[in-house]
Amino acid sequence: MMVKRKIIKERIPTPERPVEERLKGFMEVNLGYTFELAVQEAQRCLQCPYEYAPCIKGCPVHIDIPGFIAKLVEYKDEPDRAVKEALRVIWACNTLPATTGRVCPQEDQCEMNCVMGKVGDKVNIGKLERFVADYAREKGIDDELLGEMLPEIEKKEQRVAVIGAGPAGLTCAAELAKDGYHVTVFEALHKPGGVLVYGIPEFRLPNEVVEKELEKLKRLGVEIKVDHIVGKTVTIEELLNRYDAVFIGSGAGTPRLINAPGVNLNGIYTANEFLTRINLMNAYRFPEYDTPIKVGEKVIVIGAGNTAMDAARTARRLGAEVTIAYRRGEEDVTAREEEVEHAKEEGVKFEFFLNPIEFIGDESGRVKAVKFMKMRALEEKDAKGKRKIEPTGETVILEADTVVIAIGKTANRLIVNTPGLEVEGGVIKVDENLMTSIPGVFAGGDAIRGEATVILAMGDGRKAAKAIHEYLQKKAKESA
Amino acid sequence: MYKILEKKEIAMRNIWYKVHAPHIAKKVKPGQFVIVRAFENGERIPLTPVMWDKEEGWIGLVVFTRGKTTLRINTELKEGDSFLNIAGPLGNPAPMEKFGKILAIGLYTGVVEVFPIAKAWQELGNEVHTLHVTFEPMVILKDELEKAVFKHTVETVSIDPNKSFPENMKNVTARAKEKVREMIENLKPDLVFMVGPVGDQKAIFEVVKEYNIPMEVDLHPIMVDGTGMCGACRVHINGEVKFACVDGPSFDAYTVNWDELIARSGYYRDLEMKAMQLYMEKLQAQGGAQ
Ligand SMILES: Cc1cc2nc3c(=O)[nH]c(=O)nc-3n(C[C@H](O)[C@H](O)[C@H](O)COP(=O)(O)OP(=O)(O)OC[C@H]3O[C@@H](n4cnc5c(N)ncnc54)[C@H](O)[C@@H]3O)c2cc1C
Ligand SMILES: Cc1cc2nc3c(=O)[nH]c(=O)nc-3n(C[C@H](O)[C@H](O)[C@H](O)COP(=O)(O)OP(=O)(O)OC[C@H]3O[C@@H](n4cnc5c(N)ncnc54)[C@H](O)[C@@H]3O)c2cc1C
Ligand code: SF4
Ligand code: FES
Repeated sequence: MMVKRKIIKERIPTPERPVEERLKGFMEVNLGYTFELAVQEAQRCLQCPYEYAPCIKGCPVHIDIPGFIAKLVEYKDEPDRAVKEALRVIWACNTLPATTGRVCPQEDQCEMNCVMGKVGDKVNIGKLERFVADYAREKGIDDELLGEMLPEIEKKEQRVAVIGAGPAGLTCAAELAKDGYHVTVFEALHKPGGVLVYGIPEFRLPNEVVEKELEKLKRLGVEIKVDHIVGKTVTIEELLNRYDAVFIGSGAGTPRLINAPGVNLNGIYTANEFLTRINLMNAYRFPEYDTPIKVGEKVIVIGAGNTAMDAARTARRLGAEVTIAYRRGEEDVTAREEEVEHAKEEGVKFEFFLNPIEFIGDESGRVKAVKFMKMRALEEKDAKGKRKIEPTGETVILEADTVVIAIGKTANRLIVNTPGLEVEGGVIKVDENLMTSIPGVFAGGDAIRGEATVILAMGDGRKAAKAIHEYLQKKAKESA
Repeated sequence: MYKILEKKEIAMRNIWYKVHAPHIAKKVKPGQFVIVRAFENGERIPLTPVMWDKEEGWIGLVVFTRGKTTLRINTELKEGDSFLNIAGPLGNPAPMEKFGKILAIGLYTGVVEVFPIAKAWQELGNEVHTLHVTFEPMVILKDELEKAVFKHTVETVSIDPNKSFPENMKNVTARAKEKVREMIENLKPDLVFMVGPVGDQKAIFEVVKEYNIPMEVDLHPIMVDGTGMCGACRVHINGEVKFACVDGPSFDAYTVNWDELIARSGYYRDLEMKAMQLYMEKLQAQGGAQ
């Protein structure tokens, strides 16, 4: 049903909250498409054939992107139907589209090679995905679709335990539940969601969106046990006695600290602590919420990934003057483009080629300044393709009453200490089927990659679910 | 949700809770703690199971009314109500070895943490002497400790109503130092263990150090998750950064950077006071605390 249509070069913009309004609170910045705008943007897609579409190849879970976009255009006179059909296509590969549509670095994935980019702006795939998920949620269309899928599930006897309720664990759990397995998720914190609830702030990903996406899991029959710390409350060995397989999706939760004098001064937070207080504990609403947070007038955030942007923009919303200090250059920044743009709009300052070497405190033990070594870039590249840097010997001191360290994280120690579990470079070692060194125990997400992305974690969750399914079928045959 | 099977005031500002928490009762060992969240808008605070029953699936907690959260727990929660979240057991169990003669000291409600450890050490064949120093109306676990260890000593200080609370606390510190010195001279212990406010831990450590006796302390830094993912609880141990919730809470007193820990423990004091004051005003408006 190819209709020849005129090429629309420019992207249909998504409305955003103005900066002054944004800085007053934690309301979501990007307001997303309306149905009309979504259809207009959808009409820009050239509908490249499934086998060639570079967007599909760029998506780590290979969503049929032209396929879902086509549904929006095809049923443009029936919004509910259009969304339902589009969601059906997305769900075949991705169970958390409201989340991924918001937080994926689309510029490095699906949108990177979009053919439209040759003649104009790339298609806004992320925002279209988000639109479908949001509209479906608001109208209860996702529930409807789920209702149609549930009766088709054939219940199986076997049981699977999933460790960690982040994107990796939740995706694995959802896929296995769709296959009919009994799935129990063990989560250490009091709320499921992983980084989606304790890390990424509400102005990017409202907690309500995550909560709603998680309700679907309950309907699929997945049981989530919060307050259960695997390695303490229960061990992997014990899980293996009660379950037929185990998936570890415990993330990379251990923050990396800077080995410099003064790192324990008051006012120095790891990004994990800072963001957990804000997102999970709602400390920005103290004293209505009981958890306190202290942000002074001058904040320095160290690092330039998504975590650093989130911490910096959070601190701006608490009224501070914020500087991001990064040891490399502007072109090496790893955060999503959209977030860097938003941070700049919101008045976050950037300082490049600065590496912290000392934290300076006052008599009460609170940080008052950070001493940096000035760095410079070399021509030579490192293993990750980034320009190498070296110290210049020149130092500079910047004042700060709060410092947030956002230089990365490694795998959760309580899991890594499991006897028999092989670990390499701080992350869990797996084979091509994502099976760990312990038979029947699989792993994925940040736990095997170090800090990566939501969609890669979800891709691992899906892949592991498939591998677990095969493993359990084989096991069932052997015992029959 | 973890149901409160029993609640009672066992001493001034010290409330005992028997709570249904089978996942913890089954696993907990002396020296470990739990993280509790009691209210939807509440914070996560660390507490210590003082006793437990694996078969019946309950743990016992003693909550000392200190600031807003503990006051709120002690006023708002009734028998039959539930704690929203109890996660654990967390931290490392206390080392279970034959040390010989042990002096285990608890200041104020710190004796709650001393009880399970001292009891287990005694059962293992150590000669355990426990010392509880606190205000007169705050003596707890006296009968239990008398039964559990070789010898239990209670030292009380009376509250002088004409003096401020911090002034009164200084008397507890002074008495504790005197008594510890006396007991060390008499007993010549092989190990000293102590739980109490961090300032007092440092003061007592200074006494013990004079005698060059090994000393273990359970540290109480600020905690958020309690599972090693935030670093709020970090302390310098022998010059290295450690997370008390996963590497501790028990450490060799000779390796702790005391002044840093004291500074970190007081970081939120102004906000804590503010929260407490607002809550007290609310209670007063409602007709007072129970
Ligand atoms: C602030 C921040 C912003 C980010 N922004 C983006 C972004 O914009 N786009 C993007 O793609 N990625 C982003 N990321 C990265 C992304 O969030 C992660 O790659 C992703 O969440 C990894 O998913 P996961 O399921 O592997 O782990 P997690 O999301 O970390 O979930 C792991 C879960 O396991 C639980 N757990 C840990 N140990 C145990 C245990 N012993 N027992 C039981 N449960 C346990 C944890 O509590 C947690 O809930 C960001 C990360 C951070 C920190
Ligand atoms: C591993 C561990 C185990 C614990 N076990 C128990 C337990 O079994 N029972 C129990 O009751 N408590 C226990 N605690 C302490 C308990 O967590 C705190 O009492 C609680 O977090 C206080 O919360 P709050 O909001 O009531 O008071 P906060 O708001 O935290 O503090 C209230 C007031 O107390 C003052 N204050 C804070 N710290 C100190 C201090 N060290 N000395 C003197 N004044 C201080 C502050 O100035 C503040 O005004 C434990 C702590 C740890 C780390
Ligand atoms: S590459 Fe771009 S134009 Fe082609 S199908 Fe994908 S989104 Fe449409
Ligand atoms: S309390 Fe967060 S790491 Fe210890």
